[in-house]
This record gives sequence, C-alpha cells and structure tokens, in this order.
Amino acid sequence: MKKEQHNIINCSTFEELLTDYLDKTLDGTAHKSVAAHALSCPLCHSLLNDVKESLEVCRNISAPAVPITRLEARVLSMTMPETAMACEDFEEHLTDYLDGFLPAASFHRWERHAALCNTCEDLPGMVVRSIAACYTYKMDELAVPDGLHDRILQSTIGTVQAAEVKAGWASELGEWIRGLRFPMGIPQLAPVAMMLIFAFLVFSQTVSADGTLAGVYSTSVELAEQTYQQSAIALNGKPVDVEQGPKDPVSGATFVNEEKK
Amino acid sequence: MEAVKAVTEINGAELVRRARAGDGTAWEDIVSNYSRRIFNLAYRFTSNADAAEDLTQDVFIRIYRTLDQYDPKQGDLSNWLMRLARNLIIDDYRHRQRNPQNTMADAVDDHSYHLRAAGTSAHKEMERKELAGQVQEGIDKLPHDLRTCVILRDIEELTYQEIVDVLKIPEGTVKSRINRGRIELAKILRRMRVVTI
Repeated sequence: MKKEQHNIINCSTFEELLTDYLDKTLDGTAHKSVAAHALSCPLCHSLLNDVKESLEVCRNISAPAVPITRLEARVLSMTMPETAMACEDFEEHLTDYLDGFLPAASFHRWERHAALCNTCEDLPGMVVRSIAACYTYKMDELAVPDGLHDRILQSTIGTVQAAEVKAGWASELGEWIRGLRFPMGIPQLAPVAMMLIFAFLVFSQTVSADGTLAGVYSTSVELAEQTYQQSAIALNGKPVDVEQGPKDPVSGATFVNEEKK
Repeated sequence: MEAVKAVTEINGAELVRRARAGDGTAWEDIVSNYSRRIFNLAYRFTSNADAAEDLTQDVFIRIYRTLDQYDPKQGDLSNWLMRLARNLIIDDYRHRQRNPQNTMADAVDDHSYHLRAAGTSAHKEMERKELAGQVQEGIDKLPHDLRTCVILRDIEELTYQEIVDVLKIPEGTVKSRINRGRIELAKILRRMRVVTI
C-alpha cells in the first residue's frame, strides 16, 4: 500500500494558508497538508468551520434585502412620478391583472403601485382569498329540501308517481317523426317545391294537349312511338313517308301545334 | 372525454324526447339530475330556502312547458336547461329588486337542511357550513348589479361572454362590475373577519 506524502504543518502555517485553501489555489501537496492539519487539530478544525460559516453568511447578505420591484418602484416614483398609477386605476385593473390580461406597460405600473402603496398592498391578497372563499362556498352545495321533487312532479305531470305516467302511442309516433332527419331543412324545401310546380306547369302547357299530367304522359308515349317508327323505316333504307311523321325535328311543342291543326 | 360528452348529449336528447312524449320517468330523471344545481343557484340569489324552493319549482314548470323548444343541435341539455334556469332566476331577482316589498333576501335563515359533506369530520363540516353562510351573507351585502356578476362569475363560473349573453349588457360593463364586485366582497369579508390579511 502506497502511503501518500505530505508535509506536516503547524497551526501558524495553517492560518496563513487557510484563505488559499478555501479558495482552492494551493498546489496539491500544500492542500493535502492543510486538510490533514484540520483533521488532526481540533482548534484549527473549528477555525476552518467558523470561517466557512462566515463566508456563507457574507454571501447571503450580499443579496438585496429589499425586493427589486420595491426598490425599482421607489426609484421610479421619485424620478418619474408621472408613470405612477393612482389607487382608483389600481383597483380598476385588479381583475385584469389576476386574469393575466393586463398589457405589459400597465402590468409593471400596477406591480409598482402594489409594492409601494400602503392602502392597496393587501387588496390583491384579500380579493384572491375572497374568490377562494366563493369557490369553497360553491363546493358546499345545499341538498335539495325534502318534498321539492314531489312538488315539482305534482305541478308538472300531476302526480308524484312518475312511473305511472306512460307515453301514448300517438305522442311516441309524433316524437319519432319529429326525430327524423331530412336531408335538407324544412324551410329549404319551399323553393324546391316551387321549382317542381313551375316545371310541371311548363311541361303541361307545352307538351300536353289538355294541360293535365295524364296528357303529358300519353303525348310522350305517342312521340316515342312515332320516333321508333321513323327509326325503323330509316334502318330499312326506305324513304320516310311524310304522312307518317313531321318534317320538322320532333319536339313536344311542334307536335302539339300540328296535332291541334 | 369527447365520447363521454357525446353520450351525455344523446342521453339528454333522449330524455327530453321521452319526456315530451309524456313519459313520467324521463321527466323525473331530468328533475332529479338538475334540481340540486337549480335550487342552489336560486338560493344564491334569494338567500332564503323557502323562496329558493318556490323559485326552483317555478323554473321546472317553465322548463316542462318549453321542452318543445329544446334542440339537441344547439348544445347539450345541461347547457340549455341551466341557461333557461339562470335567465328565469335573474329575471325574478331583478323583479324583486324593483319591488322591494316582495324581497325575502333580508331573511337570511338558518339552513335546517343538512350539507352533504361525506368523509369530513363534524368540526370541519361545521367550519365549512359557517364559511358558506358568511360568504352568502357577504354576497347579500353587495349592490344587486355587482352581486349578479359576482355570483355568475365566481360561483357559477360563467365566462365573460356567457354573462354578457345572460344579462344583455356590454362586456366592458360586465368586467367592470365583476372587478368592483370582487373588491367590495373582499372588503366585506375582511370586515366580517372571514378573509384575513
């Protein structure tokens, strides 16, 4: 086993090297010598701990005791008093601040006022606790008083025995029809119906001789028959008989006119 | 979550369909599901158990008569029903404000009915009950326009837009009333030592 080499130092040297030891600027051998002395000498060990604690305390007190916001607010209120916020404005913006809707410029003025104003400084906390009390209150809902259900049922369906009230088949059917989903809404059916009526009127006046739906149908059948005969003649290579068909192209209007002749 | 919501909507629509057809059980289900919420809302505006009970009954009568107007495509049953209830209760509240002889708000009664607080100790339950009573007392002391906004926002948890729709006043007014209402309530609760610094 290899034994580590280090110089043995006395208490006076320990004190001299203490600062460098804590700053970790000693070379390896010297550092080990100081550490070894601190372990072997109770007085120097205690001194080392005291110095470490003092340094820690110094580091902590170097942090500002006054929050930056408060200091900044104080400086700004003295140097730029026009940017300060009035108490009325502070109250007016309270909900926006809590909701996070306050614009950046107003937000900082609002926070500065909260940090400096003795009258307003407790208000945000109070409001937050008050809102929390409302939420607690909401959670504690009152139970429905006895007999209220029965009163409601009695005054609406006329009895407290709801199970005895059954739906009639007619009303069930009504509800079923009501529940049907049409491809288009009822109001949109009106223009569709108008278009169908208009189309029927046009066809009945131009195609049908007597203006009825039956007339439209019979005329269509006759036209189809006529067209078939003409096609058959043309296919057999025979000349088309003028008596058998009109010279003009076949159309409902021309045929009806000729029929009338 | 979406699936649960969809199922709730279907159930609500189905309940209304059956209730409209005359099925007593469906209507009883609607009453059971919503009476607690509506009764509590009525109580917050009336501060009186008897008045809240009467108001809840009136609200359900109106709901029963207007079931035909419910359209599942325009939102689920809960939204439609609570919106209707809220409007009726606020109308009643405004009516009572205009006719102070009818008001029962001053009679803050002792709730003889129990608060459901399963699993809590008796002491804790008493504390909560006391706090609830004090908060209601504080709310009662607010001016009526601020009171409506505070109840709708901080207890009913409605959005600003929903409050605008219910009260039919501009959003700026709603925000301003909520803000002033919160501040006033905080000051009242502080004086009552409900809220401490």
